[in-house]
Amino acid sequence: MSYGEAFLLGITALAAIFSTIATYMAIMERDLLKAVIFSAIQSTIYAFIYYMLMAPDIDLVYIPVAVGLYPAVIIALIKKTTREEKP
Amino acid sequence: MITLSEYFMTILITCMIVNLGLALYGVFFKPNLIKKIIALTILGDTANTFALIIGYRMWVAGVPSRPPVFTEWRSNNPLLLLVFTKTAVDPLPQALVLTAIVIGLAVILFLVFLTLQAWKIYRSVDMRDIRKLKG
Amino acid sequence: MKHWIGICVLILTILAISFVVAANINVLLPSTNVRTLAEIYLKYTYYPWDKYFTAMSPEACTSIVWDFRGLDTVFETMVFYLAIIGAIALARGVPLKPPKEIKGEPGLSLIVKTVTKIAPVLIIAVAGSIALHGHLTPGGGFQGGATAAVAPVLILVVFSQFYLLKRGVNKNSMLLLRSIGLTGIGITAFAAVLIGLATGHYAFVLQNQPKPLAPNISLPAFVGGQLISGSLWFFNFFEFLAVAAGFTIVFLLITLPEKLAETKEEKRAAEGGEK
Repeated sequence: MSYGEAFLLGITALAAIFSTIATYMAIMERDLLKAVIFSAIQSTIYAFIYYMLMAPDIDLVYIPVAVGLYPAVIIALIKKTTREEKP
Repeated sequence: MITLSEYFMTILITCMIVNLGLALYGVFFKPNLIKKIIALTILGDTANTFALIIGYRMWVAGVPSRPPVFTEWRSNNPLLLLVFTKTAVDPLPQALVLTAIVIGLAVILFLVFLTLQAWKIYRSVDMRDIRKLKG
Repeated sequence: MKHWIGICVLILTILAISFVVAANINVLLPSTNVRTLAEIYLKYTYYPWDKYFTAMSPEACTSIVWDFRGLDTVFETMVFYLAIIGAIALARGVPLKPPKEIKGEPGLSLIVKTVTKIAPVLIIAVAGSIALHGHLTPGGGFQGGATAAVAPVLILVVFSQFYLLKRGVNKNSMLLLRSIGLTGIGITAFAAVLIGLATGHYAFVLQNQPKPLAPNISLPAFVGGQLISGSLWFFNFFEFLAVAAGFTIVFLLITLPEKLAETKEEKRAAEGGEK
């Protein structure tokens, strides 16, 4: 049994569980600014998962797009419209 | 019995399926347009992660898998090339996911501009209010 | 936090279901062999012993994106171009001119401004490096362009939009840069055909190295001892210009102050009410 592979996949599985927690908080949160911050946390964890799956090219695209561009554009949109979501 | 690597890989795939389900719930059942956009970004990223999991290669006889970059190209040695093709990860899903990220980005940017236009016309980003206005 | 019961139930369900599934079904997991097509791509990405099949670039992902499947990337660039045209069309008619006098000091505090003056230079230098060595190590045109697009966001948030407009970074100059990038991509795609027309041999569109039906025309793989992989380096450079300029246009349009757009809307609403 390969303990090296089990250790690295174990770290990946732990990161996947944290990403599910961040997705749940992002969908269920009513304050839109906090939802965007949770979405950025989930994207950072996904970037770590892409590194463990040996895909460095996609990692270099994903980090500026999902952690930099999406939150910047959506926060500009929130500033111009509403901040709280009606229940 | 199951090995530890198989169990951890199954946890990864199950977490991605749960993420997909949560993002679909967010797109269909949350009436705010901005929450729909956030859920759509999560949906696109999770679908790309599925493609990468399909392209992964588990370790062969204790040798770790490596990314598809041939770093010993200056040596001009065919044996190193053979070892590279036997241990590297599949590069084709990575190229397809690259295209998918760009197209997803284009769609989300266009949706953001449409949401801004809806706010200017209806003064609301809630779908229930827009439905009441019969707009 | 108020969702902790839902989160604990979710995590326990995931762990239990994974245990049950892993014990019974094994075919859903990735295997220890990749597909035959992947082995062919991995073998021929840098294969100097057979010049007709290789792309002469040790980076498999970049050689698939720009050489083996170059047509997919051309269409992806077209989709991105159409999205940016759609965004510009929704914001047309609004003049992007800085006002004559600015009341007060726009932007954030002095400490943030001083620290941010160093950051955009570093970001654009690193982005250029990522774009230009995309055929040797992980990187490439789109990676560099997306990283370089973070610098205008930083300047737009910390300083104000008028800082960029006064220095000539407006919609028209970015559209010019983007058009230069897209024209460069088009010329590089037809480069082998143009060389073939000039010398009287056959050549293909999007051709990088010699092919069996066009053995006389090839873009140089080595220049002065350095590996530039033929057309891949030029594709990366022009795609970097096009993507960075395209993102800057989108950010300039989305951070437009609403007062500039409100006047025309109010005028139209007032005229519509009087009728």
